[in-house]
Amino acid sequence: MNAVPYTHRVAKPNGWWGMIVFVATEATLFGTLIGSYYDLRFKTPEWPPPGVPDPKVLLPLILLAVLVSTSVPVQLASSFARARRVGAARLALLLALALQCGYLALQIHLYVDDLHRFTPQGSAYGSIYFTLVGAHHAHVFVGILLEAWLLLRLLGGVTTYRGVGLQATAVYWHAVNVLAIAVTIVQLSPSL
Amino acid sequence: MTLEVLPPLARRRAQRLGLIWEERPGLLGWLTTVDHKRIGLLYFFTTLVFFGAGGIEALLIRTQLAGPNGTVLSPEAFNQAMTMHGVTMIFLFVIPMTVGAFGNYLLPLMLGARDLAFPRLNALSYWLFLGSGLFLYVGVLLGKAPDCGWFCYAPLNTKEYDPGLNADFYALGLIFNGLSTTAGALNFIVTIFKLRAPGMSFNRMPLFVFAMLAVSLSLIFALPPLTTNLVFLELQRNVGFHFFDVAHGGDALLWQHLFWLFGHPEVYIIILPAMGIATSIIPTFARRKMVAFPLVALAELLVAFIGFGVWGHHMFATGLPVGALIFFAAASMMVVIPSAIQIFAWLFTVNLGRPDFRAPLLFIGGFIALFVIGGLSGIMFAAIPFDQATTDTYFVVAHFHFIIFGAAVFPILGGMYYWFPKVTGRMYHERWAQLSFWVTFLGTLLTFFPMHVVGLLGMTRRVYTYHHGFGWDAYNLSETVGAFVLAAGLILIFANLLWSRFRGVPSGPDPFYGGTLEWATTSPPPPYNFPVIPTVSSPYPNWDRADREEDLRRLEQGVLALEHDHETLATTVRDGYADVVLHMPSESHWPIVVALSLTVVFVMLLTTHFVVAGIFVGLAGLVLGAWHVREPAAE
Amino acid sequence: MSGGSVRPATLLAGQNVLHPHSPAEHSITVLWWVMLGGAWIGLTLVAVLLVLGWVRRNRDALPFGGGERAATRLVVGLGIVTPILVLTGLFLWSDIFVIRSTAAPARGSTALTVQVTGHQWFWEIRYPGMKAVTANELHIPVDTRVNVVGTTADVIHSLWVPELNRKIDLIPGRTNSVLLYADRVGTYPGQCAEFCGLQHAHMELLVVAEPRARFEQWLHGESGSARPGTGAEAQRGQQLFLTEGCADCHQIRGTSAQGQVGPDLTHVASRTTLAGATIPNDRTDLTAWLRDPQRAKPGNKMPELPLSSRDIAALVSYLEELK
Repeated sequence: MNAVPYTHRVAKPNGWWGMIVFVATEATLFGTLIGSYYDLRFKTPEWPPPGVPDPKVLLPLILLAVLVSTSVPVQLASSFARARRVGAARLALLLALALQCGYLALQIHLYVDDLHRFTPQGSAYGSIYFTLVGAHHAHVFVGILLEAWLLLRLLGGVTTYRGVGLQATAVYWHAVNVLAIAVTIVQLSPSL
Repeated sequence: MTLEVLPPLARRRAQRLGLIWEERPGLLGWLTTVDHKRIGLLYFFTTLVFFGAGGIEALLIRTQLAGPNGTVLSPEAFNQAMTMHGVTMIFLFVIPMTVGAFGNYLLPLMLGARDLAFPRLNALSYWLFLGSGLFLYVGVLLGKAPDCGWFCYAPLNTKEYDPGLNADFYALGLIFNGLSTTAGALNFIVTIFKLRAPGMSFNRMPLFVFAMLAVSLSLIFALPPLTTNLVFLELQRNVGFHFFDVAHGGDALLWQHLFWLFGHPEVYIIILPAMGIATSIIPTFARRKMVAFPLVALAELLVAFIGFGVWGHHMFATGLPVGALIFFAAASMMVVIPSAIQIFAWLFTVNLGRPDFRAPLLFIGGFIALFVIGGLSGIMFAAIPFDQATTDTYFVVAHFHFIIFGAAVFPILGGMYYWFPKVTGRMYHERWAQLSFWVTFLGTLLTFFPMHVVGLLGMTRRVYTYHHGFGWDAYNLSETVGAFVLAAGLILIFANLLWSRFRGVPSGPDPFYGGTLEWATTSPPPPYNFPVIPTVSSPYPNWDRADREEDLRRLEQGVLALEHDHETLATTVRDGYADVVLHMPSESHWPIVVALSLTVVFVMLLTTHFVVAGIFVGLAGLVLGAWHVREPAAE
Repeated sequence: MSGGSVRPATLLAGQNVLHPHSPAEHSITVLWWVMLGGAWIGLTLVAVLLVLGWVRRNRDALPFGGGERAATRLVVGLGIVTPILVLTGLFLWSDIFVIRSTAAPARGSTALTVQVTGHQWFWEIRYPGMKAVTANELHIPVDTRVNVVGTTADVIHSLWVPELNRKIDLIPGRTNSVLLYADRVGTYPGQCAEFCGLQHAHMELLVVAEPRARFEQWLHGESGSARPGTGAEAQRGQQLFLTEGCADCHQIRGTSAQGQVGPDLTHVASRTTLAGATIPNDRTDLTAWLRDPQRAKPGNKMPELPLSSRDIAALVSYLEELK
């Protein structure tokens, strides 16, 4: 029995499964963060507490839309790699990376801006707000690192290993984007 | 099958495999190993050391409480010993012993694979575990060990009430430990899904594997709430956030919800591998397959699932709404069903077969008795009024020691005897092993049974001393005597294993005629586990002699021997059809480097050097980037 | 006080869960005995099957005949059907009916309310509507339904008087209440049940159930201000109390001592115990306590006082007058 080529295999590769499990545990992590948010919220008569402005809605929602749309190029990059179209894969990945970097940069700006208005040390609201949103940004950052690393590796062409890497990264990003929707809704909930 | 008896062609293939899979010799080989068996052994010996430490803490506690007004330990020392006893036994002994040592060593062997799905991640799990254990015990050496009890309730765990590093060692140590466990669980799940021998569809998986799958899934979903909780705690303690202090809108009960959302599944995480071990030992010594096999498999998964719906039963005295109490009580009662299914399946398997009560089966018999006692007292806690009376007393301590020591550790001990010949190629000493069982069993009853009584007499848990005059003294003395008897029993076991390791009679590959695939290879197994990937047509493949003879023929013909490279076979997820040959990563120094940098990270977080911690996170990230500088040919 | 501490000899009752002195605790006890009976039946069944497995180890069939199919049916019967039936019964009885007797008392169903606040490591006890503040000794009238409302000043504690009722946790920012009822005059010991730090072991409590008239008299006495020290020694003791730092932490109503860290000492001499019901309240023990508060209860918040033996004797004389 010889090695079956990557494109012909029947089952999803180990890397894909590994990422599914990883994403499951990360989603649970966000679930507990969101649960904690509401536990604290329903204990507090005024949410956000006096002196803390309600979250702004428009810009975060636009940013969210941009982030979620990057699921498409990431998935395309994975499919292109499967079809051994290295150039297209690189390009799709680069596009996703650019959008995501822009997203993260703007979000960090907003985060710092928020920190000027209220602090995590001031109230439980601030604590859970910055923890939840910060955890999300950290996940975006890790996703960007994953893609950058893959892009570097793709410079040497596609291999099975890199193909699986792309497949797993696509799973990661889809999950992060779904979580982004949840996190953003929770984050903006006082204004909605 | 030993190499010598193989026909020439087969022997040549096996020798080639040996050359391919052999790792570096010596100390460096152990530091860079990715062989699941060697990592399993590393786990085994490391957890034994921690078991010793946790045991010494237990004996200190029992010595202090032997009589009223004990003066062996100061209150502070007692609280540290009490906390570290719990933390050690749960996080540094039972889980790494069952999942890390038994799971690692046995899972690929039972599945007919040559390694776990992610061998380097597996090595990383071990080194992270070692790092977290050492981290926690540095706290002990500094006299700053966690002192808030293993569930370390808020706000007692906040800086205001626990100003030292004690709770920081706790929080960071357990986050660290959780990384290791999560990586291990992920690895097991993918291995079970993907690396089963051809023909091993889900319904033909050994029950031990079902148990490991249930444990791993539980861990994946149970650890995040703990991690969240601990991160909250560190943010509150060291950065001034507010999660648990009421003055700033925090909620002290948030800690309890998150903790028990982890903590109760954790109980099943502790007990499930033990059930898996029991379901391995019983069919072998009863000399027949498990009665009601599909029900038992389902029950193992159900236990893990229901475990997520019962966390509130640890909080019956906190004043939750009555509706919530009733929900959690009902869910808690439901756990009885999958447990009862298994107990009766074990009992009727023994009754239906022709059981040979050798040491491993004796331990399982003891396990069943102790598990039933602990289970019955557990049901009582689902009767809310009774729980509200006896929670936080020694009655609870009695209950969970019957579960954790009786039900989780007894199968571990039995399993040590059972697989000892597989790991070492030598038999343990049967008579001494049986004696060691009886000593351990009596010690267990003597230690933990009186705790029921003393709890009903009103002795609360976690008191460093107590007054004369409540009728507690004699029971406490019995518990202390029992603890030392128990310790003697354990010493007998390890002395037996140590002696047998060097003087035991050679065992051959399959001394007990076991049903699962680990018995189909030599003892100890070669680095490549199986010279040819076995095929499977039932849950007890080693009893299918025709299949095993077919293996030999295929080895001679070179079908699925995979002897050209560092390879194993991946199969399809549900049916276990052969899918693709995987090229497996080889030994590497990266795992230990990553673990080292993460150890530095946690030390820096402890000392609140956040920038340095960040730098070392980056370093660990860079190393992860270099993880497979030389890519495996496939994956 | 020699070496360790001894509970006061006045204690009549123990902390025996199965020795009920109230209807609520009685229902818990009944629940226990019934469950214990069921548990013995279950354990016996399993033990018999284990022993049968051992005795009949050379025979293939089940003891009562039958093979694989019979065994599977038995697993279903004993492992699924029986637990469902038994547990449904237990659930309905304990968690729907018995739970009512241990639930927080309904509004208006009690004759008296007492506020208990947990501190590391003592109990502060107040009687709303009265000025009475005391510590560690909770007086209630016998045969009377008393609503105890609990909270905490610091970490989580748990209020538990085993022979009278269930326990309730005292949680920051929350209150829980429990019914206390004693069917007999006597002193009922209790203890903090939730680990609350260094001296969790010595956060003890006495519930004193008295005839109503004596209770009223006691409460009236506790509500009054402290009487000033009489005699030179006690007066000097009072002076020392007010100037040497005691007053920073303790309150004595009717004097300038208004500290809120430690227990209220207005009527400390009316109490039978000290330090969270850890040691008896007599001259010897009080003197030893003041000389070295960290000896009997290491880690408690009371500092060692820079006082001579004569000063301490004067303080003791003063405190002993605070009936």
